[in-house]
Amino acid sequence: MGQDGEIPEGIVNPYLAVSALVGVVGTMTLLPLIPALIELRRKSDAAPLNVIQQHAGEIRYFAQSFRSYMQELEPVLRQCAASGTNASGVLPHGDEYVALGRGDGELLQALAERDATHPVVIVAGVDLLAPAATTFSREVFSSGRFLGGEKSNYRAILAEREVHLGASSCVMRWVHAVGPLTAERGCKLYGRASSDAAIRLHADCSFLRLNAPRIEIGEAANPSVLPATSPADLSPQTTHRFFHDGDFEIQPDEVIRGNLVVRGRLRIGSGARVSGSVKSTKDMTLENGVAIAGSLISAQGMRIGRDCAVHGPVIAEHAIFIAAETCCGNAQNPTTVSAPEIEIEEGAQVFGTLWARESGRVVLRT
Amino acid sequence: MIYVLYFIVLLICVYTIRHYGFTLNRLFGFQRHPYIDIDTADWPAVTILVAAHNEEKVVANILSALMTVSYPEEKMLVVPVNDRSTDRTREIIDEFVERYPGRIRPFHRTQGKGGKAAALKDAMELVTTEVILIFDADYIPGAGIIKQLVAPFFDPEVGGVMGRVVPLNVGANLLTRLLDLERSGGYQVDQQARMNLRLVPQHGGTVAGVRLSALREIGGWNDNSLTEDTDLTYRLLLHGYKTAYQNRSECYEEVPETWTVRIKQIMRWAKGHNQAMVTYGLHLLAGKHRATLRERIDGTLLLGVYAMAPITLIGWILALLVFYEGIAPLHGVIAILSITAYAALGNLAAFFEIAAAVRLDGMRRRVCLLPFLVLGFGVSIFSVTRAAVTQIRDAITGAEFHWDKTERFRKAS
Repeated sequence: MGQDGEIPEGIVNPYLAVSALVGVVGTMTLLPLIPALIELRRKSDAAPLNVIQQHAGEIRYFAQSFRSYMQELEPVLRQCAASGTNASGVLPHGDEYVALGRGDGELLQALAERDATHPVVIVAGVDLLAPAATTFSREVFSSGRFLGGEKSNYRAILAEREVHLGASSCVMRWVHAVGPLTAERGCKLYGRASSDAAIRLHADCSFLRLNAPRIEIGEAANPSVLPATSPADLSPQTTHRFFHDGDFEIQPDEVIRGNLVVRGRLRIGSGARVSGSVKSTKDMTLENGVAIAGSLISAQGMRIGRDCAVHGPVIAEHAIFIAAETCCGNAQNPTTVSAPEIEIEEGAQVFGTLWARESGRVVLRT
Repeated sequence: MIYVLYFIVLLICVYTIRHYGFTLNRLFGFQRHPYIDIDTADWPAVTILVAAHNEEKVVANILSALMTVSYPEEKMLVVPVNDRSTDRTREIIDEFVERYPGRIRPFHRTQGKGGKAAALKDAMELVTTEVILIFDADYIPGAGIIKQLVAPFFDPEVGGVMGRVVPLNVGANLLTRLLDLERSGGYQVDQQARMNLRLVPQHGGTVAGVRLSALREIGGWNDNSLTEDTDLTYRLLLHGYKTAYQNRSECYEEVPETWTVRIKQIMRWAKGHNQAMVTYGLHLLAGKHRATLRERIDGTLLLGVYAMAPITLIGWILALLVFYEGIAPLHGVIAILSITAYAALGNLAAFFEIAAAVRLDGMRRRVCLLPFLVLGFGVSIFSVTRAAVTQIRDAITGAEFHWDKTERFRKAS
């Protein structure tokens, strides 16, 4: 550089400088296009988004897949069951299995003891009687009944007849019973629990997703007893819609013929009946003995009192409390009860699906 | 001039913030899917309208798909709305009617006003169910989608429902790949964020549903509307009905494979949207109706989406004029900082949204195509501006709108 600050001639060629500038700017402009051009040419991620539903969301999906997976073991199972012997081997996907012809606790105890270091899939051609305080970290299949002891932990269970989980047991992924499924006091059912017959949960059980023709909560739930008020008594549903801005209260024993949308809190008085569906954008409270022929939807929380009957889906975006003797759905028309958090009292019944996204809990009747 | 430019800059900033807000909500906010858990219910009877105008290449695919969905057969009626087709559409539909007796009731329309809304309006004579679903003929619904689209109607506040559209012919060429990215951003981020934030998810007129009593309450299909879906969204909103968006109710569609077809498509959308803006904009923002404050604001911004293209172009021209006129819009340092900040963040808003959508979809490598979106945006901005200009010209001259059917590219099955 010269002392006067000017660039001396001959040091920088102006044509070269312009070319360099154009080159640098061009390179910087094209640089982000290089991966784009490569992807455009290679088409490495050009398939349509995979949205073909494999029904993975269907509650029995895992159980059905597992049953299909187990099908080729049927001859082995039959042989073991007939001879009362056991066999072991490796399934096509590399999973090690033990096929049992006897389902006694002693044998299962031995398998459970080695589970921590050498877990195996357990398949039984007979009833299985699992000992207490054991852990099975692979799937368990019984072509008969599965009777689990107390304080045991399971990854997944499939039984072709009934499943009975001892008190304080835990299922980590899924359990499906073709017959009735019973969880004794304090069980934790993470993931999916389903039955083709009925599910009964006792006090202090926690759950996420349940499905059965009938879900009974606690000993007190008596399937033959339906709430005194029944939505079936109401006249056929109408499409007429009542709309209310702000908090609203339906008076006790009042009958609403139509759908109701409340932009606020809603309280439905004892013995009231609605022939349509009900929505509130804030908390909803149903006092005892309310009958709803349609659905119940709350954008916040919902509290359903005793002896209520709801025909349609029950959905809350925050939490639902369902008191004893209340019935959601019926045997002919099962329904869905869903919320992030659900508390359900002993004595309540749900026909269909009971789905707590974050936590579901059986509470003692008050 | 300078104040007009200020106003345009303000508008662009509002839309930029909106893009960021939606994207951040999808990435970090609470996700609302209130009806997705309804898998067991006493399912209501449903009529499925399949809009078909010269759809011989695709109509068999959708009818086959609908015959295999997991919805009680006795509660589902498929009504192909054959709108004045001159190809084999009628013949193909009638073959399906014979093959599936009692499950398909065709509506063959041989005359009348053009356009999907007019055809749907006429087909309503066959509809008796409270829940109506609508598909365009080039869509391929999955097995579980009917239950998913019907489920929101258990909520009496819901008047309309919209599922997610997913391009099927993604790999055809650069255009289809760009449209795939745009659709991801539009549905996976925009629509779901509006659902999360209780704003105004838009009814798309296909992979969609409407409640019959709500439709009657708002006066039925508006066959004067160029985009019956946008029109429906706003009329439902003004009457206190929500449109529920079901992001997990995905359905394949065929996207345009040529720029000519794409330009025609986007011009029609722009004209329809602008028509709805003129019809409902002011009333939505300031009128007396049942929309909430946040719905009023978001609904107005949504109505203005297509108007932003010509506004942006005007902004660019004004900025050049301001520069050459020597007008200093702001103090130099502030101007430089503002331009730098906008260049760093503002321009990235739409790209950020699409990149986030692709990430949420779990498709990582297609995000490399993001820089090419500039091309798509360039074409859109000029097409939409052209649509606005011709719309104004037609309004002045009284010229009638010619409804262009989107060309299909699938080979007939």
